[in-house]
This record gives sequence, structure tokens and C-alpha cells, in this order.
Amino acid sequence: MKILVAEDDQLMLKMLEFRLKKDGHEVIVTRDGREAVAKLLEFKPDLVITDIMMPYISGLEVVGAVKKQYPTGTPVIILSGMGQENVVLEAFQLGADDYITKPFSPNELSVRVRRFDATAVK
Amino acid sequence: MLLPLNNQKSFEAINHLNQLVPDDYRFNITLFFTIKLLAANTILKIFSVARDHYQLVVMISVAFLMCGLLTYMLFYLYLRRKYEKTHEKWRLISDLLIRKAVFYEDEELEDEVVIPVTKRATKLLHNKRFRKLLTAEIMSAKKNITGTSSDNLKQLYKQLHLEIYALKNLKSRHWHIKAKAIQELTIMEMSEFQSDIYVHANAKNELVRMEAQTALVQFNGFEGLSFLDIVTYPISDWQQIKLLQQLAHVPQIDVSIETWLASSNSSVVVFTLKLARNYHRFELYDDILPCLDHSDPKVRLEAINFFCEIFTNETSDEFISRFLKEILKNRVAMVKAMQNVGTERDILFLLDLLDDKNHEIKLCAARALAKIGENGLTSLFDYANTIGYPLTEIVMQIKGELAA
Repeated sequence: MKILVAEDDQLMLKMLEFRLKKDGHEVIVTRDGREAVAKLLEFKPDLVITDIMMPYISGLEVVGAVKKQYPTGTPVIILSGMGQENVVLEAFQLGADDYITKPFSPNELSVRVRRFDATAVK
Repeated sequence: MLLPLNNQKSFEAINHLNQLVPDDYRFNITLFFTIKLLAANTILKIFSVARDHYQLVVMISVAFLMCGLLTYMLFYLYLRRKYEKTHEKWRLISDLLIRKAVFYEDEELEDEVVIPVTKRATKLLHNKRFRKLLTAEIMSAKKNITGTSSDNLKQLYKQLHLEIYALKNLKSRHWHIKAKAIQELTIMEMSEFQSDIYVHANAKNELVRMEAQTALVQFNGFEGLSFLDIVTYPISDWQQIKLLQQLAHVPQIDVSIETWLASSNSSVVVFTLKLARNYHRFELYDDILPCLDHSDPKVRLEAINFFCEIFTNETSDEFISRFLKEILKNRVAMVKAMQNVGTERDILFLLDLLDDKNHEIKLCAARALAKIGENGLTSLFDYANTIGYPLTEIVMQIKGELAA
């Protein structure tokens, strides 16, 4: 599964990348929303994981861009902080498919990603 | 280093020197000696051109100053570049260490988890800057991760004995170092050091105090509030909100809070009243009644707020008997509370308030009358008809509110 990850916290980004690669996914990492939107066309991901608070372009705008680019496919999982319920609701209105609240367990991430993996053995 | 002033020979010397040093430093060395050479040449030219003695001294001084400044700048840039490279290397080492800890769960299932730490990392721990960087990274990861990975990060922190440095910082003379150390121990869940933190719950510095209080509640939930026994400094409104927020995420247990109602620290009493209201401590009704006569108006206001939610048929009498002695803000709060606690016995009192000078009191009294029931509403309309403006306007508004 090709996964595009957008996260501005470098350490978090590396951990996400490491975990997803360990789970056998092809991962491309981006450090802000602008880079994520730019890589959407080039990379054609099967799944996008994006943080909400990012420089230049927020995660919400990334959700909007993904849904505009791939109206039928490409699910989006958003990473939100505690107390960002309103933003999560806004993301769902824009078409986000799932969300994970920080702090989260890497195992939880793997399980949630697997739900969107059509090639995974059920 | 002295270089021959003949340009050809000088550049040969620089080239020779460059061959002796690693690639990374070649650029800096070439630049440094070239500038030095140019400066020396300039000084020579100055000697030959300038005839006036005074001018000569000034020009030489300027040339030396420029030379010194350039040397300093280059040296600074060299050091900065060197530090950035080292920092980047350290970051990679700490990232690797953290990643190992976070994903360790899959590899071993031992009772005592031991995260593998390289010899290099262990050696680097003696370096204060590296330690600071590693601690910051572990804390940042700990804030974003839960479950086994989070436990592993805690284990890594302990395994590297980083808590020892935090405890050392806790004894620092500087308040910001102390506050940071408490925050670090809280994030890393080092509850075994809470006795060291407890003493700071009544620290002179507000931020140290706040961090210590937050830590104690984080470790022990409601039982952590025991610091209220010793707090003599005021607990700010912001800190009270933060503590209540923290408590909202822990299982509720009924701790004995009555003693805090008698605290000589008014902010402790206010916070206790907020706790009693938030957690519906009906049994404290009689203990809280004396707070309506407290010397601090903030305590009295919080007591009014408590009785607004937890009341009996006699509560309005308690308000009425104290109404005239109260300050305006608390009077308004009392009349607002009458919307909940008021009964038909209070209609006359509320009708009286319709003549008050303060419009807010008038409006609240009218609302309270409307809420009491049919009798209250009829009394309000009749009275408004006899008085006219502004009561007629207030009644119009209340009619609108009732219809909505």
C-alpha cells in the first residue's frame, strides 16, 4: 500500500515512517501541507495520513485537496491533538475517513491503516 | 601563523596547508588565510601611500580592526558549522535510540524490558548538551505516544538515569530550571519522586508552584489535591481551571474536602467550592453555608454559585437575609441564582428589586419572577403595567424569551 504521510514534527514523522515501513507499506513523508499537496499527483497514494496543525497549509486543506483530486478513492486519516474535536468534525465534513488522537499507540495506527488496505489478508 | 607576503609563495603555502587538513576545513582555511594575506597587503600599501603620520595611524588601526573582525567572523562561522554538524549527528543517535524504544515491544517479551543502548550513546550521555537534546526528544515522543511504546520510553529514560539530572535540576537556584525539571518528571511519569515535587507545591515562584501542583494531580488524581493542606500562596484562576480539567480525566473518588473550606487561603476555599459544585457534593451543604459570610467576596460569590446548583427550599432565605450586605457583583449573582432557587415566598422580595437602580438586577429579578411560576409571572406583569418604562421593555424581552 502506498501511503503519503504529512507531519511537521520530525521525530513523529520518522516514527510513523518506520512503523508503516515495518508493516510493509511504501511510505513517502512530507514535512508540511504544501509539500503533501504537491506530492499527491506525483505519488498517487492509496492512503493519506495527515496531521492537522502544519505550516503553510493545514491538514484540513490537505483533506480537501485529496478529496478534490481523488473524489472516489484515497482515504484520509487525520492525526489530531486532544481537544480538537471541532477540527475533527470539520475534517469529516471535508471527507476525512478516520482520525487518530495524539497521543496514540503505534499498534493502533497499524490496525487503523490495515482497515483501508484492500490487499491485506482479512 | 606568519605567511610570506609574496602572493605566489603565500598561495603555495596555503595549498600546502590545505593538503594537511580534512576536506571539511579546507574552504575555511583558504578563506581565512586569503583574507589575512589581503589585509597584510593592504597595510603595506597604506604605508607606501599615506604620508601624513596621523592619517597613517588611523588607517592602520582601521585595517587591524577589520582584520580582527573578519577573523572573529570566520572563527564564529567555523564553530557554528561544527556545532550544527555535531548536533545533527546527535539528533540521529537520539532518534535511533527512541525508535528502538518505541518499537521494542515486537522483539522481546521479558518482564524487565532493557532497551539496547549503543556504547557511543552511553558515552555521549556525559555531554550535557546531548543529554538535553535526548531528554527533549524522549519527552516529545512520550507526549505523542501511548501504550507499550510509551512505557518503553519511560524505561529508556530510567535506564539512561536521566531522572538523576532532573532531580539535580529540581534543586537549582533558578526557578525556570526547577519548573522544567518538574515538568520533565511529570511527563516521564516518575511518580516515585513525588515527595521531592511535593515540597514545591507551595514554592515562592508561581510557575514552579503550578508545575508541582499539576504533577501531583497527574500522579495521584483526586488524592493529589492533598497539597491544598499546605498551600499558602494564592491559586490563580487559570491554575484552578487547569486542575479541574486534569481531574475530569481521572476516576472520581470522594476525598474529604471539608477541611479546605476552613482554609485561611481564600483561593483554596474558592477552589474547594468549585470542586463541590462540579462533583455535586450535596452532603457539604451545611459546611458551605458559612462561606456566604466569608470575609472574601470571591469566596462568597463561589458559594452563591454552589447554592445556585445545590439548593433546598430554604436557600433563597439565606440569600435574602444577606442581600443588602453584599457587593453589587454578588447581589447580581444572588438574583440570577433566584431563577433556580426562588419560590413563591420570594415574590415580594423580587418585586422590590424591580425598583433597583441597577438594570441588570431588574432584569434578573424579572426573569426570576417569570421562572417561579404563574403567580410570579402575573405579579411581574401587573407591576410592570403600573410602573411603565423600563419594566414594560423588560417584560417584552422576557415574553420573547419564554416564547423561544
